[in-house]
Order: sequence, then C-alpha cells, then structure tokens
Amino acid sequence: MPKDHAIIVRVAALLLLLLTAGFAAEPRRVEVYAPQSSYQVDILVREGVDYVGLTDLLEPLGRVESRVEGKKLKLTFNGAEAEFEDGKRQFRARGVSGDLPSKFLLVDGRGYIPAAVTARLLTRVSDQPAEFHANPRRLFVGGVQFRYTAELRHSPSRLVLAFPAPVNPSTLIERGRVRLLFRREPLVSNGTDYVSYGDPFLASTTFAETSDGAEFVASTLQQATVSMGDGGRTITILAGSAAAPAAGNPAEQPQASSPAAHAAHARPFVILDAAHGGSETGAIFSPTLQEKAINLALAKRLQKELETRGIPVVLTRIADNLLTWDQRAVSANTSHASLYIALHASTSGHGVRLYTAMIPTLQPGQSSRSFLPWELAQSPFLPQSNIAATALAAECNSASLPVRTSSAPLRPLNSVTVAAVAVEVAPLGSSADELSAAEYQQKVVNALATAIVSLRSKLEAGQ
Amino acid sequence: MISRKLQFMVAALVIAILGMGFYLVHLKRKAESIGSGPAPQALVAPVSGPAEQMTLYLASDDDYGLRPTTISSPLPGDPGERGRLTLHTLITRYLQKNSEHPLGAGADVHDVFLPDPASAVVNLNAALVDSHRSGIEVEQLTVFSMVRTLKAQLPALTRVRFLVDGKSRETLAGHADLSGWMDVAMVTDACRDLK
Ligand SMILES: [Zn+2]
Repeated sequence: MPKDHAIIVRVAALLLLLLTAGFAAEPRRVEVYAPQSSYQVDILVREGVDYVGLTDLLEPLGRVESRVEGKKLKLTFNGAEAEFEDGKRQFRARGVSGDLPSKFLLVDGRGYIPAAVTARLLTRVSDQPAEFHANPRRLFVGGVQFRYTAELRHSPSRLVLAFPAPVNPSTLIERGRVRLLFRREPLVSNGTDYVSYGDPFLASTTFAETSDGAEFVASTLQQATVSMGDGGRTITILAGSAAAPAAGNPAEQPQASSPAAHAAHARPFVILDAAHGGSETGAIFSPTLQEKAINLALAKRLQKELETRGIPVVLTRIADNLLTWDQRAVSANTSHASLYIALHASTSGHGVRLYTAMIPTLQPGQSSRSFLPWELAQSPFLPQSNIAATALAAECNSASLPVRTSSAPLRPLNSVTVAAVAVEVAPLGSSADELSAAEYQQKVVNALATAIVSLRSKLEAGQ
Repeated sequence: MISRKLQFMVAALVIAILGMGFYLVHLKRKAESIGSGPAPQALVAPVSGPAEQMTLYLASDDDYGLRPTTISSPLPGDPGERGRLTLHTLITRYLQKNSEHPLGAGADVHDVFLPDPASAVVNLNAALVDSHRSGIEVEQLTVFSMVRTLKAQLPALTRVRFLVDGKSRETLAGHADLSGWMDVAMVTDACRDLK
C-alpha cells in the first residue's frame, strides 16, 4: 500500500510539473494584421515591459537589413534607415530622433523594442498607418482593420451581421449563447460593444477584442443557428435548430424571464458611453485607480439598473479599449437611441455634475434640416439635451446628491445628434475610494436610472 | 622666523576671507530663492505708467465659482501684451500656496496674439497643460477663468483660441476641448450657472 501511495505522489508531482511548465510556457504574442499577411510575433518580457523583436516584426512586411556596431543596431527597412542603441530610449528613424517609452534591448545580436511603440515606429519607417491595441495585443498595419454592422430583422427573428470583407470565424452554439471567434480577421469594435435588444429571440450582444482575436457573443432566449452568406460577408444568427431533434424539447429553452425580454421595443432608448479607455486613462486618482475604470463600472451598473426597469441599452465599450471622440459620436448617431449619456468621474468637488454641449442653439427660422458642421451637429437637439439634464438633476436632488448643471466645451457632446448629457461623478466626501464603493455608485446610478425612465416618453415622443 | 603677531594677522585675514565667502554664497542663494518662487506682484508688472484696474476671474474648486477680483496694476497699451500680462497675473495667483484652484509648478502663458481686435490666440506653456488636473469641472474652471479674465481687459473680444507651445491641442487634460475657437459670449453664458 505505501508503495502505491508513493507512485501516486510521484505521478501527481509529475503532472503538476508538466502543468506548471505548460502555463509558464504559455506564449504571449502580438497578432499582426497587415495587407500582405497576418502573423504573430513572440513577446519577450523584460523588467515588466513587453518587447518584440524588430526583425520578427518587420520581415513579413518588407526588406529588412540590420547590422550591429558595438552597442548600436543599424537597420534598413525598404530603404528607410533607423538606428537604435542598447539600453537607450532615444532612437533615430529617417534622420529624425524620437523616444521609446522604455529602453531599446540588444539580445544576442537581435534588437527588441517595446510592443507599445510598434505602431508609431512602423508609421515612421514605412509611411503606413498603424494602430496597436495594447490589451488584446493586436497590431493593425496599413489600415486593414474593419468593422461590422448588426441589424435585428423580424419574422423570423434574426440578427444579420455584415462585414466589408469575407470572414470565417469559429462558431460555438451553446444554450442561450452563440459565440463567434474571429482569429485571423482584423475585426475591431464598431463603437457599440454592448447592445440590448429586448427581443423575444435576442437578448443582447457583446463584442470584445481578446488576445485570441475578436469575439462576438449573442445572448439568445431561444435555440439558435448560424448561417453564412454573400461569400462570407454576412452571418445570420436565427431562431431555430439545424438539428431538428434538439429543438424538440421546449422545456430546455430558457423562457423569456430575462428582464431584457420585458422591453417592448427592440430599439435601444439610451446609449451609455464610459469615457476614456485603453491608453487614454482620464484622471489618475491613485496608482491603482484610474478614471476609465470607474466610468466603465458606472456604465455597467447603470446598464443593469436600466435593464431591470425595462429600458433597452447600448454600451459604447464594455472593456478597457480606446475609442476616439468621433467613434463615440458616430456610435451614438447610428445606434437609433434617443439619449446619449457619457460617464466621467472626478475627485475634485462633490456630488454629480451634468453637462450639455457649449454650442449655439439654432436661431428661429434656421431649419434643423439645413447642413450643419460636424462640430455643431448637436445644435438642433440642445432643447432635448436640456430637458434630459433637468430631469437628471431633479432626480439627483431627490436622492440628496449635490448636483449642478452647466454647458461645457466637451467632446463628443457637440457632434451627437440625439439628446446628449455628460455626467461627472465626484465623491460626497474627500476620499477617492468612495468613487469605487458599490454603495455610492448604486446611489448615483439609481437616481440616473429613475430620471432616464421618466425621460422615455418625453424624448421618444419627439422623434 | 615669522613673528607671532604676523601669524595671528594672517590667521585673522584667512578667517575674514572665508567668512565673507560664505556670506556671499548665502546672499547668492537668497537671491536665487527669491527668483525661483512665485513672483511677487511688483515683479509681475514691469510696466511703467499710471496704474489701471485689472479684473481677474479667480476660480474656486470648492464652491465652483469664478470670483471677479480687481487689482491695481499698470497695464500696457498693446492688446497682446495687455492680455499676456493679465493671464500671467491670473496664473501667478493660482501658483500661490493657498490657491483655491491650484495649477502645477511652472505654469505660465507664453504670449497672447490678436489677429484682429475680436480674436485672441493664447499660447500657453506645456507646464500648465501637462501638469493640469484631469476632469471636466477643473478643466472648465481654468478655461473659463482665463477667457473671462481676458474679456475683462479686452472688451472687444468675441472669441479665444488656445495653443500649447505654439501648437494646437485636442484637450486641456483629457476633457476641455481646445481644438477650436471658443465663443466668449457662450462662456459668459455658461458661467451664469457658476457662483
Ligand atoms: Zn473624464
């Protein structure tokens, strides 16, 4: 018996060793999407910084030559010259000097640059636009990234996703969930990463960029199937089952008990925009607390609260990714929502501040249909924005939250073509910790949600 | 043989020289420390001529207000120089220890340029922007206080534009939009909600 014991212990130890070795060896890579090809570059971690090899990065994109002279690495890429020095942050590319965020590394005659700087460097040496998404570690070269559109159609209920280029995602259909994973496609956010449909078939959809690729998940309330069309340019998620017997058990299907299902309209009423994200942190409250995270927490909490009250919601972002001001405005303007709420947080002052766009209202006689520049697109909607701000302020007041309202030069409010209000939440006391406290967040969110529910009849009637 | 008296005199001279040296170093340090601290009002306005009323709209973080404060100061006739001096005086107030709306060390305005009497281009330094606290309200207060202070000294002004080290910036510190011209009347209007 003791002998058996020893064997079991040894086998277990061996398994454990293999398992840990497996985890330790889990490769971290940058996925590069370029017009010529998609490829992966291994990451080397030094002093907590992610590095990538220069040659690995550039070779698939063009002709690379490099030579080491002492501590210097001289490199030619498609005729453009660049020079780096081991341990130094300064470099030169095409005769212009620049700074790396961390020092350049020369390891065994190979040059390594911080992953965060890959996009900037590529633009410098190749004149091609490049974009690096830090969290999912995805690098897009030459403007290859593309976005999708999603449209819910009826009888029968189906969600149609359209892409500008053929796609071939791996598909996983589970009970209540359809997951599409785009590993090779340079698919990026279209600015509405969470959409609640409140439809008897489709509850909501989410989109996120991960290190495995782009992931689209549809939460369904009935059995679903997936079909491809238009040479891979459309994907339809529809009610029903390809395998007939599976659909034969209605007891298996979750009933429409989800709060979202109570919503009468498929059209979202409000688009929630958690401000900042990715490399754009917003205010930094402490080494571990940044505004972008508080904004996202507030947006998700408000989304939940609104959905339990039967209000369909769209979120611009559900993860820590960067969206430009214009992307946020475009999302709001194409979401078919009636109200746009941006969420910010601050440790300066106390309570809740509400802002509308600081632009002129349309003069009498000026038609709202006449052409307006993008920076003034909000102008005809300012009266609705003021109605929204007033309602939000009243509910904050009722909840004994100090509140004030003003107009501010704040993007993207001026380019949003529905009622638009930015909310800045500050603590009641002087501690930044209050901003991350669930109790305080919920108090603010309850007041906002009550106001938003009351606004529904007012704003939707005006459309 | 050197006499005892001579030895004593040499020693006394050496001590005196060292003492004066230390005193000189002390004086130099004192002068430098005055130069590096927030400049006192007298140094802010090296303009001769009769003193005029200068109105500063001082922001206060705690009560979310813009308080008009009038001081007496010689003002240059040139509108650009007038604008620069006014904003410099305002910013200097924000750099003082007990400021109700603190700005980061080194914050200042390079110059104010008026392409026409109704338009002012304010060229801020990078220190002001880079060290600015991030938030809608704090940034709004800085911008509004500068626009209203300028307008008080340059009544013909209808619009203001901000540059940083001569270049345009998207935002002050992530929020207040600095990308285009700011309408002075609209700023005044928005300030009605402030105290
Ligand atoms: Zn913010």
